[in-house]
This record gives sequence, structure tokens and C-alpha cells, in this order.
Amino acid sequence: MSITAKELLLYLLPLPLLLGSLFVGPSEVVSSQDVFSWILRSLHISTLHTYDEALVNAVVMDVRLPRVILVFLTGAALTMSGNSMQALFRNPLVSPDILGLSSGAAFGAALALTIPALPLQPTAFACGLAAVGMSYFLAVNRKVVSTVSLILAGVIVSGIFTSGLTLVQFLTDPFKLQTIVHWTMGNLHNASWKKVVSAAPPIILGGIWLYFMRWRMNVLALGDEETMAVGLNPEREKILILVPATLMATASVAVAGVIGMVGLAVPHMVRMMVSPDNRKALPVSCLFGGSFLLVVDDFSRALASFEIPIGIFTTLIGGPFFIYLLKKNVFRFGEE
Amino acid sequence: MAIDVRALNFGYRGDDVLRNVTLYAPAGKFIAILGKNGSGKSTLLKLIAGMLEFRSGSISILGQDITRLHRSQRARLIGYLPQFHTPYFPFTVAEVVLTGRASHVFSVPRRQDREIADRAMTEVGIEGMRNRPYTELSGGERHLVMIARVLAQEPRIVLMDEPLSHLDLHNQSRVLNLIRKLTSAGLTVIAVLHDPNTAFAYADEFIFLKDGSLRIIEAGARPWDQMVLVDVYGTPLETIPYKGKALVMLV
Repeated sequence: MSITAKELLLYLLPLPLLLGSLFVGPSEVVSSQDVFSWILRSLHISTLHTYDEALVNAVVMDVRLPRVILVFLTGAALTMSGNSMQALFRNPLVSPDILGLSSGAAFGAALALTIPALPLQPTAFACGLAAVGMSYFLAVNRKVVSTVSLILAGVIVSGIFTSGLTLVQFLTDPFKLQTIVHWTMGNLHNASWKKVVSAAPPIILGGIWLYFMRWRMNVLALGDEETMAVGLNPEREKILILVPATLMATASVAVAGVIGMVGLAVPHMVRMMVSPDNRKALPVSCLFGGSFLLVVDDFSRALASFEIPIGIFTTLIGGPFFIYLLKKNVFRFGEE
Repeated sequence: MAIDVRALNFGYRGDDVLRNVTLYAPAGKFIAILGKNGSGKSTLLKLIAGMLEFRSGSISILGQDITRLHRSQRARLIGYLPQFHTPYFPFTVAEVVLTGRASHVFSVPRRQDREIADRAMTEVGIEGMRNRPYTELSGGERHLVMIARVLAQEPRIVLMDEPLSHLDLHNQSRVLNLIRKLTSAGLTVIAVLHDPNTAFAYADEFIFLKDGSLRIIEAGARPWDQMVLVDVYGTPLETIPYKGKALVMLV
């Protein structure tokens, strides 16, 4: 497997973006020049400083850096998860949103926000996994899972968990309600090191796990019978992919809310850019998915003097892209 | 014996699909399974491949009971070519063939696996289309790719469910000659075939299935006898003597 120049570019893309994103923000007190000289000073390149040291330090280290890391992790998690699920269900139309995972995790997270005794990450994971499992088993008809039944099952399961979420919102006190509503919009504005520490372990663990499974996804993507014929148990392989994929996506939903369309649209971009071969597509999903969300987040921070929730943005970008794919008939929808 | 099937019974829910099937297949032979649609040909193949669980009886492959073999061990002995295949992602031909190595691979295939996959493509004669997207191939070309994938598995026994369907005459002869090459290298090939004429021209042994049971050929009769074929296919047909065997014609 040789690496082409394009792939090398994609691999290196996150570095300048991660660094560049530190300069972006709605703050009028801290300018990008201030950040620049602060970085030079921190690296002992220059001693010049014309800014409020403590303020810039706080903005960069406690606000922007955790946010940039969280955004990258979230984007990487949703894209890798979406990519894996598309291979697993042999269906370029599925994603954490469509299978009800996001609604399930959102319900679980809202529940955990309301009932302090429930731990956030495990509850979101359990509900997300339950949602995907329900969608899948609802869709199985005589051992066959068709595109249409999977999507319909996802719609139903999403609906059930969304009404669960609404019920939680209805019953909770107004103070918590505000937190939940903001968070379901897909919001990263209150990123903190605490959130990074909560989301990073499941995302990194799931990512490493999926990385080892990346070629198995190619095998599985050919069909159950074809997988069995070469000596793998398709059901076992599906669980070995579904669990880490769910772990990653629910961890990101738990800290960042529902960020729609990333898990569906970005894996398509990745496959178009590199190859449908998951040996290449999966690592690129991680790096490009993270980078993609970083750029979107930079826009959501820089476009207005206030912050636009990122979930609104990703859906506005993902929607038209999705329509473009439908028109190009990439999904082979209805041709089984 | 390469394959030893004894008193095999199988059914979905209440219905019997195969009843008391006993057969032996010697190594290095090309064995054709013939019979009407729904007579249990594909089911028999899937049972030997270990993809379905039988009710009673036994199947041994090269002296080993298949129920005691692990999936991956079984896949190294038996290659199975499914009947139809719908592609979902535009993988290249080389990537599809490489998946045949799954039972030998821990996480990602190594160079040795890629070389074996390359050899399999050369053997089938599809190395020229290695970088083409599998989704853009014709049905016949896809079939050749799946055959290369089975060979990449390096099995001792190859089971093929209608390997000639969707193929034009040129590709049919390519596949049949390839099967000959495999059997002369010591592999055992069992294939479900539709056309008895092709079977008589190329195969070494014949298995007839009728309504889930073996149709045993009486002493003195031969597989290409009119009486046998009329009984197996349940349709009027005539046979014309040809090169010591016979050609079958519908009438």
C-alpha cells in the first residue's frame, strides 16, 4: 500500500488546522496577533509582549485549546463511526443519526443530566447501543436487512427516543431544561478540559479498535454469505465493529450534543477522495472528519459576534451534499 | 476421500430439503451436481461448505468432521462460490480478491497475502482489470473475480454454485478449463451445473438430485442414458450418441 501525495496531504491536514483554529474566536479583547505573540513567547522565540498575559493565557489554554481538541475528537468520532456503519450495513445511507444512535445517546445524556446519580458517558452509550440494536432487529426480515427497512426502522427508533428526550425535558426543572436544549442543538461553546477528559478515552479506545477492524470491514461489506465463505462469522464481526462505532459516536453526542450529517456525509467525501478501501478510508475518516468539523467550528465562531450552534451549520452543509448524492444516484436507492 | 457425506438430512422448519444423502468424492476430480430447480443442489453445496447446519448424518472433509473444524480452518480447506453477488461499494477487483485471504489474516493482509491474491488473478486471467471498480464490471466478469477470490483462499476443495450462469461461451470455456487445471493440480471441484451437456463434456463424476434425494444410477446404466435424465429432469428429452457419451436435446 503506497501513499499518494493526496493522501499525504490529507494525513498532514489536521496539524495546521489545529494550530490555526487557536487564533479564531469571537473575543474582541484577544486578537489573533495577541495569540501569535503569546505562542512565540511560550516557545521562547520572542519575549515581546503587548498583551494581557493572564488573559491570553486563559483564553488559549482554558477555552480554545480544549475546544479545538474536543471538536477534532468529535468530528473524527462521528466520521469513523459513520464510515464503519456504512461498511457494516453495506449501506452508504446509514449513519449514527439515521440508525437512531444519536437520538438514543441524546436521550441517555439528557437523562444523565437530569438524574445526577446516572453517569453521563455510560448512560449515553447504553441508550445509543440500545437504539442501534433496536433499529437493526426491527429491520431484519428473514435474515435479510434491506436499505428501506433499515432506514424506516431508524426513523421509528429515532422517533421513540426523541419523544423520550422530550419527556425528560418536560419533566425536568427549567434550569436544567436550558442546559439540555442548548446541548441538543449540537453545541461546543462550553467545551472544557473536563469534557475532553470525559470524551477522549472512549473515542480513542473505539478508534484504535476500529483501526484494527478496518480490513474486516472490506470483507463484511461484500455480504454475509461472502464473509462466511472466507471463514469469518459475519454476526460476530458486526458486533465487533458496531460496539466501538457506537462507543465513539455516543461519546461525542454525550459531550457535544447532536451534530447532524457529519457521520453521513463526511465518509462519502472520504471515499470519493481516497478509495472505498477501508484500509485507507478509515484512517482518513479520522483525520479528515476531525479537520472538517474544525473548519466548520471556526466558521461558527468567527462569522458572527455570537456563536452559532455547530449542529445547525453541519446540517446546512450536509443537507445539500446529501441531495447531490441522491441525484447522482450514489445510493442505488431501491435497486436491490 | 476428499469429501465423505453420510446419511445427511436437512430441512427448513418442517419441510425436508435433503433426505438421506450419502456420497463420496475422490480427490482431484471434477464432480457435477445435476437436477431440477429446488431439488436441493445449492443446499447440498452449502451444507458441505458448512454454511448451514444439518439435522443428522455426517460430513467429513479430507478425513476431518466438519462440525469439529473452526470456521477459519474450514475456510482453508473449502472454498465456496456463491450463486449471485450484489456489490455495494466500488472496491477495486484486487481488493475484492484479497478478501479471500480473511481466514489467514489477523488485522490487515500482509505482502504474502497480496502476492497470493495476485497469483489467483493471473490464474483466472483477470490481472488486467485489477484496478477497475468491481461495481462497473459485467455479471460475467464479476463472477470471474469471485472465482479468483475463492482461489486466493487456497482451499483443497472448491464448491461452485452455478459457476457458468451469466457467462458467455468464451468465459464458460475459460472457467471450465480453469476447473480442469485445478483438478489436475489435485484440487477437488464440486459444481452445480444446469447444462447436462457441459457436465458430460467436462466433469469426471455426476451426482443427480431429485426432490432432495440422490438418484442412484442402476448397475449397467450410464449418467447420459435417456431414461435417467428423463427421470431426473421430469421432462421429455432425447439423447444423441456423441463421442462415447451423449448429447441431450429437449423435444
